[in-house]
Amino acid sequence: MKTFLIIMLSMVLIDNLVLSRFLGICSFLGLTKSLKNAMGMSIAVIFVMLVATAVTYPIYWNILEPVNLGYLQTVVFILVIAAVVQVLEAIIRKTFPPLYEAMGIYLPLITTNCAILGVMLINIQEIYNFSNAMMSSLGAGVGYTLAMFLFTGVREKMEKADIPPFMEGLPSTLMAASIVSVSFMGFKGVIENLFG
Amino acid sequence: MFLEINAILIPAAVGAGIALVCGVIIILVFRFFSVEVDPLAETLENIFPGANCGGCGYSGCAAYAAVLADGTEKNTGLCTAGGQDVASAIATELGVAAETVVPVVANVFCQGTCDKTHERYHYTGTPHCASASGLFSGPNSCTYGCLGFGDCVSVCEFNALYIEDGIAKVNHNNCVACGKCVAACPKHLIRLIPKHELATNVTCSNHWPARVAMKACKAACIACRRCVKECPVDAITIEDNLAVIDQMKCIHCGKCVSLCPTKAIRQGLLDGPKIEALQKEKEAEAS
Repeated sequence: MKTFLIIMLSMVLIDNLVLSRFLGICSFLGLTKSLKNAMGMSIAVIFVMLVATAVTYPIYWNILEPVNLGYLQTVVFILVIAAVVQVLEAIIRKTFPPLYEAMGIYLPLITTNCAILGVMLINIQEIYNFSNAMMSSLGAGVGYTLAMFLFTGVREKMEKADIPPFMEGLPSTLMAASIVSVSFMGFKGVIENLFG
Repeated sequence: MFLEINAILIPAAVGAGIALVCGVIIILVFRFFSVEVDPLAETLENIFPGANCGGCGYSGCAAYAAVLADGTEKNTGLCTAGGQDVASAIATELGVAAETVVPVVANVFCQGTCDKTHERYHYTGTPHCASASGLFSGPNSCTYGCLGFGDCVSVCEFNALYIEDGIAKVNHNNCVACGKCVAACPKHLIRLIPKHELATNVTCSNHWPARVAMKACKAACIACRRCVKECPVDAITIEDNLAVIDQMKCIHCGKCVSLCPTKAIRQGLLDGPKIEALQKEKEAEAS
């Protein structure tokens, strides 16, 4: 239970995927214009994150590590994640059409999403066991969702704000993102004080 | 330098093996979980303009094509962007009689330009109609009128709306009648009207009594009933201090236009903004 809390806390708040590790920024900036898009993308990311961990974790520890090919992990994971997403898309399309409608268009985007690959590599780096790796993936997905929803709120306010023309669009969005990110620095040290 | 051949062969073999397994799984999954797309729906989708504007009431061209193909939607004439040509082509493909499409176009029911109205207060908030409208119904002297911040312009994907002299106007050449501006206008000034070269409309939405309306806007309908009496086909009625022309009955004779004391009735559709014409003139002069 304690490990679970620590992993969840660290993945969701302290080492938030988007706001502290700066992974998955492209989808973070691209799909936060409306809550509907943010929701679809977040659900898809959580889902793919869990499935991809379940696939890549055994591949690393059962295939790559025994023959000392740990250094191939990046290449192999990219390949496997792309394949997993393709397979998932086909299966969901056939078996759960409503789910496909909800997150179908976001699935292909995830194929090359650095957030997924990043979490897979972190799971290996931290030498988690399988259940902890799954938890960390779940936490990362929830953290991503949190960041998406927070930033969607910020962007919706910014839509109505009177922004000087030279700052309109990406510049103001990036500045807002960095301010949101700075606010997450406040969580640093929480774990040491809570559980240390 | 001594190069061990295994150091290259083993990683290559492992990588290739994983890639091969992935490839085989993908092929198998795609074979067993393939979704049959109705070929008819695909053909129909190719006929549509592909603007995905939602003017038909469905989420996009593909959605409308799907319901047409499986027979849940019988009306072939819902595509406002494609008009009669698309409706006929779809009907031929489906083997049914073509629906007659009355082409419609968005129209702004306000003529309250800056010289005809005045400001009740100076608005300095965010430049959106929705926010301006929230502050005492906006700065305009006529609270029914166009605010001119262009909420409709920003939702239009076809560049069919423009702001001129402080009010929104429709360039009918670009309008596909998707209805997004109709929903965006906080004053509900934009409606879809049948597209006719001489479309005659009471271009005003003010429901105030004549005396008050005249003070607010020089081009307001004062409900004097002169047009009602003159109309040969009884197409005009007064509803709540505002004359309304029934577009289905109107024969575009133009008698009411010359009669209207405040010039609230306008005939004909608008083309692009004056600014463009002026720019072209300037370019012509320069060359």
